[in-house]
Amino acid sequence: MDIEQSAVGPVTRIAPIGRVDSYSARDFESRLMAVIGGGAAVVVDLERLDYISSAGLRVLLLATKQARAQNARLALAAMQKSVREVFDISGFSSIFEIHASADEAIAALSSR
Amino acid sequence: MASQGGPVAIRMRNDLGDLSRFLDEVEAFCRTQGLPDEVARGLAVALDELITNTVTHGYPDGRQHDIELHLEVADSRLQAELVDDAEAFNPLDHPVPDTTLPAEKRPIGGLGIHLVRNLMDDVSYERRDGRNHTRLSRRL
Repeated sequence: MDIEQSAVGPVTRIAPIGRVDSYSARDFESRLMAVIGGGAAVVVDLERLDYISSAGLRVLLLATKQARAQNARLALAAMQKSVREVFDISGFSSIFEIHASADEAIAALSSR
Repeated sequence: MASQGGPVAIRMRNDLGDLSRFLDEVEAFCRTQGLPDEVARGLAVALDELITNTVTHGYPDGRQHDIELHLEVADSRLQAELVDDAEAFNPLDHPVPDTTLPAEKRPIGGLGIHLVRNLMDDVSYERRDGRNHTRLSRRL
């Protein structure tokens, strides 16, 4: 897994690339929590994420709880079909704000 | 689509640092069989969940062990058998988590096995000669 990070106006876009498996989830957790700790609005761009396991879901759950606790905003974007399947089975699709594309998510978080 | 392929054996150590290489090989097998990406990735997630349980909880002796996977495409099914000498663990004994709770109340434990059971069509388990044999199958 690689992680790409960029700032778009007030929003931080973070994009995990490849697989977030139970090993790489640790890296993903430290990067994502650091971004949220900075108080930014965060878009997790999943366009190039091929795979997520429950370890990765756990990271996203922690991140969204942390974001809510500090009134920060977090949204997911551009989920591939296989990742969407994991979200749907887990019941996670209803927990997150999910947008069709990163641009749409960034626009939504910028305008609030 | 190929109706027959394998069996192949893929091994890893009881070390999650070896997981990525292992899953690469699993996905490579699926590609050579011409299977759709979502089938390959569904299998990879299911294996990740089972192996993570085994590696994290199954080896209190702290020593190195091998985990072996047999993969085969036969009878219009993708079939996988995971064999390890960890402590007995039957994934079918796991309770089904409540996936309707709001984020704040959501426990993360149990979700992995729930994923395994939903990503695959059949899951079966047998403890034999001191080994766990977990079989997964998905219709193609």
